Amino acid sequence: WGTSLFLLGLSAGGEVCYSRIGCFTDNVPWAGTVERPISQLPWSPDKINVRFLLFTTSNPSNFQEVNAVNPSTISASNFRTSRKTRFIIHGFVDKGEESWLMDMCKLMLKIEDVNCFCIDWSGGSRTLYTQAANNIRVVGAEVAYFIDILSSNFGYSPANVHVIGHSLGAHAAGEVGKRRKGIARITGLDPAEPYFQGTPVEVRLDPSDAAFVDAIHTDAAPIIPNVGFGMSQLVGHVDFFPNGGEEMPGCKKNALSQIVDIDGIWQGTRDFVACNHLRSYKYYSETILQPDAFVGFPTSTYSSFSSGSGFPCPSGGCPRMGHFADSYKGASGQKFFLNTGDMSSFARWRYKVTIEVVGSLNVQGFFHVSLFGPNGNTRQYQIYSGYINTGSSYTGYIDVETDVGKLNKVKFIWNNNVINPLFPTIGASSATVQYGKDGVTYRFCGSGTVREEVLQTLNPC
Amino acid sequence: MKQIRITIVLLVVCLLLSFEVAQSGLIFNLDIGELCVQSAQCKSNCCHRESALSLARCAHKAAETQKCSPLHLYGVYYYCPCESGLTCEVDKSIVGSITNTDFGYCKDPFDAY
Repeated sequence: WGTSLFLLGLSAGGEVCYSRIGCFTDNVPWAGTVERPISQLPWSPDKINVRFLLFTTSNPSNFQEVNAVNPSTISASNFRTSRKTRFIIHGFVDKGEESWLMDMCKLMLKIEDVNCFCIDWSGGSRTLYTQAANNIRVVGAEVAYFIDILSSNFGYSPANVHVIGHSLGAHAAGEVGKRRKGIARITGLDPAEPYFQGTPVEVRLDPSDAAFVDAIHTDAAPIIPNVGFGMSQLVGHVDFFPNGGEEMPGCKKNALSQIVDIDGIWQGTRDFVACNHLRSYKYYSETILQPDAFVGFPTSTYSSFSSGSGFPCPSGGCPRMGHFADSYKGASGQKFFLNTGDMSSFARWRYKVTIEVVGSLNVQGFFHVSLFGPNGNTRQYQIYSGYINTGSSYTGYIDVETDVGKLNKVKFIWNNNVINPLFPTIGASSATVQYGKDGVTYRFCGSGTVREEVLQTLNPC
Repeated sequence: MKQIRITIVLLVVCLLLSFEVAQSGLIFNLDIGELCVQSAQCKSNCCHRESALSLARCAHKAAETQKCSPLHLYGVYYYCPCESGLTCEVDKSIVGSITNTDFGYCKDPFDAY
């Protein structure tokens, strides 16, 4: 029987049916297409064993396991219909008890009163990829069934539900939304590319799956030859491409430094295997406590973003990547770009800086600025490197690591690449600094010039 | 003839490998967060560790108003030296400079108070 099932797996045309959640076929578009050459039927719900681990403000550190087959477990738990509900679904090879899911719940509980479910489907995720990619159909069906029970037994509207899925979990979330219409929001954290990119909308996550679908792309390079696990295709109403979406800063470390991580060998090994891919949930987790630090700028490509396109935010505002993306009311189907840090904290605030340079003579060199505000000050960020002409102005875009607030001071410092026996002095006569989120512009003036490696302070004018 | 060809191929592979190693920063030119034993290895010029027992990694230099150490011969810091143009204002002590625990805060020497 096992071999016949195996043969069935190779030739399309099979079907399996399970009580509660219905039938699954391996007909087109589920298999037998260019995107999905190997056909696999999803495993049984018993084998995949989808578990719902509930965290609430009453039990923020230990989960309660609930079960839709036995709704009394829901009424006996800390689940409350007065709250919103968020489900977090992991991806391939992962498990529901993995620290990132539970930590994400804990972070949410710091700022809001929600029912936060970590969904474990490790019974179906730890197998061959093609099998896991089909098992998510059962995972999606189980979560949809859970939401059905919530609405039929507890009168809980799906409009209070937000499903967050990472990798394969993002498409499981899409399946939930396809089966249970009217879900408020789905967040796809780097949705998986193989077996999903380019497939019809019923197979993958797409904007029709919920009232609002947002996605974070962190590993969008093609699977062949770049081994990028995430999709480059747009799947939501808003699609964010932090750092361009393909190569995340901090993921190019040498093998030893990557594995021997600050957060331990296990986190390091995970990053060694799929650093870019896993960044998506790290960014999302951080956005929960840093709402304004992940502003996405609308433009078509990363290179145009880097050269200042889409900056500052249009009058309607920019969406904020991650947890607060749903407050965005602008046009859908767009790409949004931003830069993040290379390690936690990833939060960055984007400014445009224009410096007018005066000096005793033109030099080859570079200059940096640091920003000062009531909440502190930033590091020194390079604005320009090259031949510095006195009397010219230079513009650069910087992503600073501190939210300094309303600017009250700017410091300028320059350096020569070579020793110059003429001892040139260079200064900034003015600095125009614009904050990306709201377009507020600050103007600062400086007097005189300074030697290299000497800070010049510019005050408001 | 065949042996020579194999040797040449091996040589090219070795050359490429060593180039790759130098590029990726295994020993020098290390990025923020990479393991180090000496500040000279880091692009940022600061090899930082949390405590005497923890591993050292390259870190950013300290910005103005942040905690810092003055330049030190050990080459590994509990708090990084300051960015350019800043001085780490610290009361030096003999014990502190031996145990690498002379800490201060980065200040702009030309700041008007």
